[in-house]
Amino acid sequence: MRTKLWARIGSGVAVAGVVGLGLVAIPAGAGAQPELPPVSAEELVASVGQTSPGPFGGTVEVDNALGLPAIPGAPAQLANGTSDVRIWSDGTGRGRVSLPSAQGERTLVSDGTTAWAYDSEDRTAVRKPVTAHEVQPADPTRSATDAIAQLRQTSTVSVDGTAEVAGRPAYELVLTPNPTERTLLREVRIAVDAEKRVPLRLTVLANGSPDPAFEVGFTDLTFGPQDPALFTFTPPPGTTVTDAPEGTGEKPQRPEGVQPTVVGDGWDTVVVARAPQGDRSQQRPEGAPDLSQLGTPVSGPWGSGRLISTAVASAIVTDDGRIAAGAVPEQVLTEALAR
Amino acid sequence: MTAVDVREAARVTSGSGPAPAARAVGLRKVYGRTVAVDGIDLEVPTGAVLGMLGPNGSGKTTLIRMLLGLTRPTAGSAELLGETEQTRALPHVGALVEGPGFHPFLSGRENLRRAAAAEPLLTSGAIPGAVDTALERVGLGHAADRRFRGYSLGMKQRLGLAGALLVPRRLVVLDEPTNGLDPAGTRDVRTIIGELHESGSTVIVSSHLLAEVEATCTHVAVLRSGSLLAAGALSGLLDSGIGGLEVTTPDVGLALSTLDGVGAVAAPGGPGIVVTDGPEAPEIVALLVRAGVAVHEVHRRRPRLEELFAQLTEGDGGVPSIGTEGDSGVPSIGTEGDGETIGSATIGSEKGVRR
Amino acid sequence: MTAVAETAVGPERTAAPLGRLLAAEVRWVFRRPRTLITLGLFALIPVLVAVGVVVADRNGPGLIGAVAGNGLVLPIAALTLALALLLPLATAMAAADALAGEAAHGTLRGLLLAPVSRVRLVGVKAFGVLVVAAAAVLVIAVVGVLAGMVVVGSADGQMVTLSGTTLGFGEGVARVGLVAVWVLGQLAAVGAVALAVSSLTEHPLVVLASVLGGLIAFGVLSAIPALDWLQPWLLTSGWTAATDALRDPVALDAMGSSTVRALCYAAIGLGITVWRMQRRDA
Repeated sequence: MRTKLWARIGSGVAVAGVVGLGLVAIPAGAGAQPELPPVSAEELVASVGQTSPGPFGGTVEVDNALGLPAIPGAPAQLANGTSDVRIWSDGTGRGRVSLPSAQGERTLVSDGTTAWAYDSEDRTAVRKPVTAHEVQPADPTRSATDAIAQLRQTSTVSVDGTAEVAGRPAYELVLTPNPTERTLLREVRIAVDAEKRVPLRLTVLANGSPDPAFEVGFTDLTFGPQDPALFTFTPPPGTTVTDAPEGTGEKPQRPEGVQPTVVGDGWDTVVVARAPQGDRSQQRPEGAPDLSQLGTPVSGPWGSGRLISTAVASAIVTDDGRIAAGAVPEQVLTEALAR
Repeated sequence: MTAVDVREAARVTSGSGPAPAARAVGLRKVYGRTVAVDGIDLEVPTGAVLGMLGPNGSGKTTLIRMLLGLTRPTAGSAELLGETEQTRALPHVGALVEGPGFHPFLSGRENLRRAAAAEPLLTSGAIPGAVDTALERVGLGHAADRRFRGYSLGMKQRLGLAGALLVPRRLVVLDEPTNGLDPAGTRDVRTIIGELHESGSTVIVSSHLLAEVEATCTHVAVLRSGSLLAAGALSGLLDSGIGGLEVTTPDVGLALSTLDGVGAVAAPGGPGIVVTDGPEAPEIVALLVRAGVAVHEVHRRRPRLEELFAQLTEGDGGVPSIGTEGDSGVPSIGTEGDGETIGSATIGSEKGVRR
Repeated sequence: MTAVAETAVGPERTAAPLGRLLAAEVRWVFRRPRTLITLGLFALIPVLVAVGVVVADRNGPGLIGAVAGNGLVLPIAALTLALALLLPLATAMAAADALAGEAAHGTLRGLLLAPVSRVRLVGVKAFGVLVVAAAAVLVIAVVGVLAGMVVVGSADGQMVTLSGTTLGFGEGVARVGLVAVWVLGQLAAVGAVALAVSSLTEHPLVVLASVLGGLIAFGVLSAIPALDWLQPWLLTSGWTAATDALRDPVALDAMGSSTVRALCYAAIGLGITVWRMQRRDA
């Protein structure tokens, strides 16, 4: 009968809707690992060091499970959760980076001679000339390369299978700390594009958790020429344009006397620095995070202070104004402070 | 005489010919633990005016809704105009079920136009004309452009009737059509039912007003507690109820002996004699006249529907009083159906009660 | 009788033409006073936002803040604002009237007896709900553009994106259109689910209460960090995606995925409605 047929069709469509919703909602598991010719770790690292990806555009997803405490005034990307970064590069130093947030967007554009930072929330644009050593922010190409270079002495570097990232086949380069390293980190995985030899994804795994503590990687990536209009910036009407102070870019000048000292090397490096002296609540530059109320109180032979710990790193801010931080447990920090 | 006997005797038999206008086969509807309709078999012959009788809650409306395909039966099947899939017959069916349903913020005319837009048999061009005709027919022409919200109960009922009559129908189903109507409205409904019957349409009308049914129907179906107590041609039902001829005559002795001679069963009664068995009425009248009996009047002795109803339902005991409730705007109708006066020698044996 | 018989000779068909049914439904929808009142109130939303932005006269945070001096953002901000509660409620109201309301008035019976087949009835009703939703979205978008240009104003009729680029009037209006279509997709999902509820009840208020309750429940669920995994299942979790239309180049990912999600919800709602209407007593 038609009634029964339509009732069946109706329930079928409803079930299909639920299944479809499930397909959308449940992220596709690790896809089939692509078959790639074997490559040694040395070869892979070397090829990454030499590569030049050319123009590309894509979206990078930052998946942050560091467990950083919420810091007023800090960018949303620091808090736990996922956020997207949209990146375009013409391969010759001109580029655009967008940091979309729910309500607005921060945009960084470098046209080769001038870098612009535009914030839609207060409609301000900061302009500064580009110097040769300017590093593109949040570019996984650069950050992964740097990480490999730094960690090779104290780590085991191996190629552990393959993966598919942003639809592209990639080798999984794994950096594991040597057993002597006293670190919170378990391993760092870098997915390297099989063809372009560009790092596509960086995954940081901490001890005690199977899930990544931090992951940044492309979810969408296309190589090829990009629209040149992306690499120019004209301040839109109604924008306040300021010139960045010389030196450290848009961030306020760092006060004197805070040159950091480095204790240890490799995975258990601890950086000890001196925080700005004086009444912090008044001297704190506008927009900078207020750290004075964070963490839990700790004390020891080195003095007393507050411990801020996350999944991959710890920091101690002492009451006498010192800061020690590293990807290490609390004990290593206190040893460094006691020096 | 038990109720079962009556039902057996009175079961409508359409016999050969066209398919019945409506047919129920073992229709049953159960809501939770309540059995609303309990296995009803019914055939409504084409051209009949079927009165569906029963107290409130006897299953009349549920039965009608199942016939029309508005309610899915728990068991059994229904057929409309020979179609087992009711929607194929519905274009030819007009219905007013469970009160008129219209939108309060639209005028009567707009409401009908919206209903007419969904009528398969109306061409788009014919809609305004059909709506106007239907409005005039139920006497709502003057109030057509007032909002339905402001209609009186009777006007709402008339609009509902108009909705059922938008298209010439082969079957019209009216559920309590005189609800809320004044005497004039009731008369109008009866006139419309008569017109429908004359034009060959089949009409099913449910009511708890016995007099109304008796006045307008050719057939009746009596329901109680979801069961069919009796169904059949109204005249046949009434005849089988008590039956017999009532002869008004002063010559009782002569009449009795005359009839005894031809083997008829007769006895003194009323203002003369009562013949309960024997030859057909014309023959009896002829016999008596030939024997020199002075015949003043011959009645087919029939009960009023109300008596029949009481008789049908009393057998099971505890029947709610029917016919006394509801609105009483049916003046002196019941008396008209009080048996058919048979004029002197020419007796129509089975004329039914339709006027 | 004979007069009717002559004028009403139609072809022997068992269903009225679909176009006539749809036209009758649309006429009915727009004759309903509450539909017109709702649309009138929706026209006020962008005007109120525009006046508020002009009176406040400073850049605030968020989408509303982006409206200041940037009139073409107004319709998008107003649509986002209305999508949070008012548009879904208006859609639910239309869906409530479509089946539950008709059943309560006894008019559903009339339609089924005409006869309108039950599947076709669902189609006609879904169309009616979609028309109401589209009208509401259109009112906000059009009044938003007008109020944006007249009350808020913008430099040369341009739209300043969140990325700091400037779009011409035509492209700005195209972005508004994109958001309007996307919002309509989300409302289609709400409408389909509301229609399913509507097919299950005879009380229109139950439909409104269900949709309102659903919105609140989704809001609460999405605010609980431990239930993060639930986010992709929730219809409302993509409802801020209109902001992406203000980026340059436009980011379609969030709008795309939320549209797919909305279509799934719409399929669920319509499927249940069709299934339920097959057995519903009217």
